[in-house]
Formats: sequence, structure tokens, C-alpha cells
Amino acid sequence: MSPPLPSCPPGFSRRTLLAASAAGLAVLATGCSSSSADEREKVTSQQADELTAQVAVQEAVVSAFVAAGAADPALAGEVADLAAQADEQLARLRAAAPGSSPSAPPSAGGAPPAPETRAWLRTQVATAAASHTTACLDQSGARAALLGSIAAGLAGQDGRLA
Amino acid sequence: MADDSTDPGALDERTENTALREALAAEHAAVWGYGVVGAALDVSAQAVASVSETAHRDIRDRVVDLLAERGADPVGAEGGYALPFPVLSGTDAAALAVVLEDGVAAAWVRVLDQAVERSTRELAVGALTAAEVRAVGWRATAGQSPATRAFPGLPQS
Repeated sequence: MSPPLPSCPPGFSRRTLLAASAAGLAVLATGCSSSSADEREKVTSQQADELTAQVAVQEAVVSAFVAAGAADPALAGEVADLAAQADEQLARLRAAAPGSSPSAPPSAGGAPPAPETRAWLRTQVATAAASHTTACLDQSGARAALLGSIAAGLAGQDGRLA
Repeated sequence: MADDSTDPGALDERTENTALREALAAEHAAVWGYGVVGAALDVSAQAVASVSETAHRDIRDRVVDLLAERGADPVGAEGGYALPFPVLSGTDAAALAVVLEDGVAAAWVRVLDQAVERSTRELAVGALTAAEVRAVGWRATAGQSPATRAFPGLPQS
């Protein structure tokens, strides 16, 4: 009997990742922990700072969708799904970086009117994807997985906007 | 006996190699699966499948080399795999390609979660990103909406 095509690595469930993320959150909040899971997710202050910086990067993406929608209402409807996904990504990043706090959205002003709006938005998305990719390399565990996944998601959006 | 003293929660080369083996298994499956995808597509669309298959062959070979350099046995390909559904049309083929890309994406996210080497994370995030970019195209071809994912490779809630 042939094995099924893999859809998810064995032993890797959403619970696994969330548990690891929770351990990471606990370490970030308290500064120390002795459990092996917490040890696995121990984060350096530099990693914590870099993760917080990626929250700002993602906030800029969310703002870019808003600005693009204002500049080109037709595009706003077309990319509503993408904008919603960017919001989801921001929420997950904020949860993983408890040192961050919701802030006033950074100004993404400068969105040009149609027909240049799409290309401008695409540049914003691609820039954020590259930033998350770079940041992922210096993280570990669930934080690296989350940043890498978001980077890939934004790269997919970039392709969709092309 | 060495396993008895291993911290089950720690990340080390062992966890990284295990995740890489899983990614290699997913890449083997993708290479095999794209043979099915290509056979079911119109000639005009077969080039895209061919490019995708080549990309998976390339990453497969890189992982085989990496594991061999470490003295870790690379997992081999299966003789065949069970398809998740019949592939009888171009739309079915595109949907199968989505399954293949989602499968490798999940495996590469697992590598990111388990890796200790920066170079391994670089390999993983590159493979993950390439898989998602291809998946977006296949989801659109298969008529799936939305074609993009917020968290490619992460388990669904």
C-alpha cells in the first residue's frame, strides 16, 4: 500500500506550535523559566527587540493596504482578502512579541493614484516580506517559524498583486 | 542510551536533522506528485508543472547532500504514493499541486521550528517562500479563493 502524500509533518500540530509560542511568551514576560519547553523558546533581548521591530514592519503593511484602498477604491475591493490576511499576521506577531503594544498606524502616505497604486502596494508588501525573511534567520523555534510563514505569505501576496 | 539523557524540549542538530528528513520526504513526494500533475495538464500548462518539479528536485538534492555531509542518513523516496483524490482533469491536477506545495510548506515550517543553524533556517525560509509562491498560482488555477494564505505551512486552527 502506498503511503499518502504528506500534508503535515508527523508530530507537528497547531497545538505544538502554540505551546511553543506560549512558552516563548512566558519567557519574554518573566525573564526566566526552568522547563525544557521554556528553555527551548528562550529569547535573547536582541531577538525580542528584533521581533518587536517586525511588528512595526507589519503595521506598515496594514497601513499600506489602507492607503492603497483610499487612493484606488477599485483596488481596495480587489485586495480585501489580502488586507485581512495582513491584519491576521499583525495580530499574531503582536501576540508573539508581548513587549509590543498597539500604536498609531505608521503613515503609509504617498500611495499614488491609480494606475500606479498597485505597483506601489506591491513594493510595500515585497519589502515587508524581505524584512521578515531576514529577521527569521536570527530567531529560533516558534518565532522563526512564525516569521518565516508570514514572510512566505506576503511573498505569495506579492505574486498575486503582480 | 543517548536518547535517555536528551532533553526532549531542546533544539539541537538531532532535532534539526529529523525535521530536514521530514522535509526531504515531502520533497520526494512532491517530485513524484508533479509527475501526476503534469500528465493531467494540457500541454500548454505542462511547462509550469515542469518548472515546479525541477525546483523540488533541486531542493531535494540540496537536502540529500546536507544530510549526507552530516553523516545523517537521507530518507529515500517511496515507490509510489496514495493520491488524496482522483486526478482526472486540469483542475484536479492544479488542486493536487496545491496539496504538494502545502505539504512541503508545512515541512519547511517545521524545519524553521526545529533548526539550530542559521544556514538551515535560510534554506528553509527560501524553500517555504518558493513553495507558497507556486501554491498561489496553483490555487488560482484550481479556482480556490482566496489564493493566498496568511500563514503558509502553519497548522490550520
